[in-house]
Amino acid sequence: MNLILFTFIVLLGFTSYYFGRKKAYTIQSTKKRLTALPQFYGYYLAIWCAIPAFIIFSLWAIFEPTIVKLLILSDYSNQGYLDDELNLLYEKSKALSRGQFTGEITPFIEASAEKYLSLRSIAQSSKVVIVLSAIIASVAYAYKRISSNSRTREPVEKFLNAVLFTASLAAILTTVGIVFSLIFQTIDFFKVIPLFDFVFGTHWYPAKAFVRDSSEALDPTMYSDTFGAVPIFAGTFFIAFIAMCVAIPIGLMSGIYLAEYASTKVRQYAKPLIEILAGIPTVVYGFFAALTVGPFLKELGTSMGLEVSAESALAAGGVMGIMIIPFISSLSDDVITSVPQSLRDGSYAMGATKSETIKRVIFPAALPGIVGSILLGVSRAIGETMIVVMASGLAANLTLNPLESTSTITAQIVVILIGDQAFGDPKTQAAFALGMSLFLVTLCLNIVALRVVKKYREKYE
Amino acid sequence: MIKIKAKDVDVFYGKKQALFNISLDIEENQVTALIGPSGCGKSTFLRCLNRMNDVIDICSVKGEILINDFNINDKSCDVVRLREKIGMVFQKPNPFPKTLYENVSYGPTIHGMAQSKQEMDEIVETSLKKAALWEEVKDRLHEPGTGLSGGQQQRLCIARAISVRPEVILMDEPCSALDPIATAQIEELIDELKKEHTIIIVTHSMAQAARVSQNTGFFHLGQLIEHGSTDKIFKNPDNKKTQDYITGRFG
Repeated sequence: MNLILFTFIVLLGFTSYYFGRKKAYTIQSTKKRLTALPQFYGYYLAIWCAIPAFIIFSLWAIFEPTIVKLLILSDYSNQGYLDDELNLLYEKSKALSRGQFTGEITPFIEASAEKYLSLRSIAQSSKVVIVLSAIIASVAYAYKRISSNSRTREPVEKFLNAVLFTASLAAILTTVGIVFSLIFQTIDFFKVIPLFDFVFGTHWYPAKAFVRDSSEALDPTMYSDTFGAVPIFAGTFFIAFIAMCVAIPIGLMSGIYLAEYASTKVRQYAKPLIEILAGIPTVVYGFFAALTVGPFLKELGTSMGLEVSAESALAAGGVMGIMIIPFISSLSDDVITSVPQSLRDGSYAMGATKSETIKRVIFPAALPGIVGSILLGVSRAIGETMIVVMASGLAANLTLNPLESTSTITAQIVVILIGDQAFGDPKTQAAFALGMSLFLVTLCLNIVALRVVKKYREKYE
Repeated sequence: MIKIKAKDVDVFYGKKQALFNISLDIEENQVTALIGPSGCGKSTFLRCLNRMNDVIDICSVKGEILINDFNINDKSCDVVRLREKIGMVFQKPNPFPKTLYENVSYGPTIHGMAQSKQEMDEIVETSLKKAALWEEVKDRLHEPGTGLSGGQQQRLCIARAISVRPEVILMDEPCSALDPIATAQIEELIDELKKEHTIIIVTHSMAQAARVSQNTGFFHLGQLIEHGSTDKIFKNPDNKKTQDYITGRFG
């Protein structure tokens, strides 16, 4: 029903566009000069169609459920029900009206369900009537008003401005919303677990928290030595470090090769091929690490007399590094290519060779951009989840041995949130605290990276 | 004395021929100006002289270019040594994003010309003095070269070019991005530099060619139409096209 109505409104919008333009043409044919192109008159009318529809739809969405609920529950007032019971009754009748109710059906509930249905249909039809009449009234008013010297261009531009602004606002508000949900849960978490224990505790063992029966009372002392985040912070940075050890040299060198040495033909094929690496889903990298690289490293280690865990930080970090190569390679290729040719010419004309030019002129000139690309790579390494979950194990060992398994912030969030969760429980909130710290770390890295890149851009523009 | 002798030089960009049969002698310790309308190949010819066209993949050069009687298009020619002997100044000032000092010491460093810090300081100082920039920048040698004004940047590039004591300096429209005062400074400098270097300058400004050069070559559509002493080219050219260009009838 709503879909049909919506389609109809869109059609009305097109029609009003058409009428607006047509009126403009008619005015034009009387040799009067218009203040704007005929299309603007059309858009102007279409806006007069869209705005009332939007306002009424939003009002309806906000108030309809509340009003319906009030009307239904008014039958039960003065009968001594508690608020909770009333809510339950309302939910039951709603479920019954949709045919989804499985419990015992009492005549009361049945009556409410019928009333609910009839109220909904009244609401629906009155919405159709009100929306359509509002649209027609507003479009007709606007249609009458437009004349050769009415201003249509400005409102249309303003409307576009507002639409675009709303779009960016939506993105920003979502971010803010996510941050706030993180913040409140994190604060709750730190009410139970002292911040000091979280930041400096060296023992992370959330499984201990899983054993608690939720009917038991919450006893903070039982969590001592459970949520010490040091091992997983260390694991995160350690795996990211291994990843960058792989990604920075290979990525940078391939970037330099592509930008400076590769012939047009090689570049034409090599660049997309390297970028394919970036298109591989991380879960594929994950099982590549877990099923191919991990066992391979284990065998290799065993043959050399080393003890290697099948799920090692080295396997996860190494594969993660491969995943990051295309970011660094592609970004550094871009910044190196954007170093002005005149600098290269200047250096060659002094008799410098290609490698001298790269080392002494191009690399220093591109350095801020390259640092930016590396920092973006690091923030990806820290935020990467799938590879670590699959290839590096879930036990949070505090170790700096790359051959042992270790765990990261992201992997621990997965561990905590897989399966059933109880909200308001420290073990669930621990995930929010971890998410918050992860967010802060990557936020800082991104801010630094963007600043560096921006500084670089200013230099040559 | 003839410093550079070009014999039947052809240049191709891919399949398109940009220069046809250029033969030109360049006199030592004189300024030779190359003039002609845009796209006539004068810059391309200039870039042949220090093999800068090597940088462009699709560009190929045929013919002989003899510098001190040695053919630089020969396989045995070491481009690094060649470019040490033949410096270049570009149209747009292109100082490296480094300090003034590093800009000037760049060439001597890569050619290993200074044994000690002291020697390097001397080279930098003399080069900047010769480029008439020393007085303006001696107190801020360790500030970035990109912070100078356009004219100063171009003189810095000249200092950079002469730091390796080249025999020849190629200048590709060195004043086209500069204001008249900076242009006058550079022209004065060119006059000074020709005592020690052979200078070849590509210019769009005929007035500039007349002011700074002793010899002039006129290029048109990839051909060297006429060359000779600047006096003759400007006062009494043999070729009608040269006459037309000089008097501003085309170009």
